[in-house]
Amino acid sequence: MSEQEIRDYSTAKGFHPQTLERWLSWQPDDAGALARLAFALKVSENHLRDLMDWLEEISLREGQSIHAILTSKAIDDSATDPRLGRADRLKRIKEQIRRLRFPRLAEAEDTIRAKIQELKLHPEIRVSVPPGLEGGQLRVEFAAASHAELKQLATKLTEAMDKASMPEIFNLLAGHSSK
Amino acid sequence: MKLFQPEEVIVENGSGTSPIYRNLRRNLPNVPFRFVDEVARRNGDRSSIVDRFGAAKRKLYLAKHKGEFFKKCPGSDGQVCCNYFVINFASNCPMDCSYCYLQEYLADNSDLTVFSNVCDLIDEADRVLKKHRNMFFRVGTGEITDSLALEPLTGMVGELMPYFVEQPNVLLELKTKSDCVDSLLDFDPKGRVVVAWSMNPQRVIDWDEADTASFSERLNAARRCQAAGYRLGFHFDPMIEYPGWEKDYQAMIEEVFATIDWKGLSWLSLGVLRNTPGLKRAMRERFPRTQLLTGEQVLCPDGKLRYFQPLRVEMYRKMVGWIRRAAPTVKIYLCMESKEVWQQVFGYAPACEKELGNEMAPGAESAWL
Repeated sequence: MSEQEIRDYSTAKGFHPQTLERWLSWQPDDAGALARLAFALKVSENHLRDLMDWLEEISLREGQSIHAILTSKAIDDSATDPRLGRADRLKRIKEQIRRLRFPRLAEAEDTIRAKIQELKLHPEIRVSVPPGLEGGQLRVEFAAASHAELKQLATKLTEAMDKASMPEIFNLLAGHSSK
Repeated sequence: MKLFQPEEVIVENGSGTSPIYRNLRRNLPNVPFRFVDEVARRNGDRSSIVDRFGAAKRKLYLAKHKGEFFKKCPGSDGQVCCNYFVINFASNCPMDCSYCYLQEYLADNSDLTVFSNVCDLIDEADRVLKKHRNMFFRVGTGEITDSLALEPLTGMVGELMPYFVEQPNVLLELKTKSDCVDSLLDFDPKGRVVVAWSMNPQRVIDWDEADTASFSERLNAARRCQAAGYRLGFHFDPMIEYPGWEKDYQAMIEEVFATIDWKGLSWLSLGVLRNTPGLKRAMRERFPRTQLLTGEQVLCPDGKLRYFQPLRVEMYRKMVGWIRRAAPTVKIYLCMESKEVWQQVFGYAPACEKELGNEMAPGAESAWL
């Protein structure tokens, strides 16, 4: 991808000059790898800035080029997956890059998600954790249309609370590693 | 530590009669002084200097401060506050830590400036302290400058100490990353002055705290102050997470308590690396290779980025454990953290800022011991 193509794309998308300047300050291989992704998925400025932040920071930490990160098999598979629409491909790629950027946070989120699955909750009871696990609280939501339904959900929740996974979730949120 | 030498001192007319001017003249015999009518504020100036913030640290301005000196520490939205007050006798700092929030906070007004109107400062403090004799004030001078890094040049603290040591309702905290304590050693602090160091392992100092004193220099300065009768504080802030951080921080704490009598400590604080998206942009420009940019930080409700909560709670808990092993009843507080984090670390959170502030008073009991 040439510098001019990147300039044209930025102009067409109305990017801030600082975003373009930053993009062009990358090594040509790195800038080109991002350009291929951005052009194919029509990435907007906000998404592009997130990607730039994460990619620069992964590269700095891992000593790996941005080109190498973006051409890894996992990213390439998502970028070319014919089953996914453009928006879903971008979403998946962003999530993969986020996981590379925040590996331990992603691992903690996965572990908590698995523990929530182990609770085998009634489908009407929704348990979630805050974004980035900030706040340390578990959010439990359910809605009932009758006294009987509420009683049934409360019973299911009480049963779930007796399972080992429940205190383990709170321990993970409070920084007690499961390992 | 290499003593800061400005390239030039720029004196605002009217500041030439200040004791700070006299001290600067005496201590900087080989540095040119220039008088100007008024120190121009360069708000919004995006001049062509590539590193304007870095360049601003090379000259020293002496000017009158026209606003209030004595203020409540702003803390951070929604976080537990320690009821701290600040006196700003200078703005900006000769040191150059990569994570320094002044890179964003003073971006448009970054001239390294010492304020000449010491009498106004003391008059203002006197009005507040006398009017509220029933209140206890923890007052720090290290919010937008280092309390002691410029002391060998300005003698500012030496000008303030005789007043503050006589006040019954104040503890003056001098917070520093320097070892510039020589001038303090001649004073009797009368239990009213806490000299406090921001501490990090030498590895972090080498990476991210340019132009500051080494860990050994800071600790040696602390030891000398304790021997001279000062109460001490340590701020393990910002704590940096990196592979092997535990070994370095544990060794640092062991060395601190092997050198210092912990019973002479007023308080310790803990805080992890905090920045904002704006500060990260400044760091990227000025310190593009710092690994601090790569930590697993998430955006918190107060707009600051911190290590994600389970990670930083684990860090705090480990630090508290290592500290408690050496100093079982020393007062420890968390800087700019939520009640939830306090609960997870200590099993307790202060009910209000007044409670935490009062617990820092000399002789007060801590509920979270």
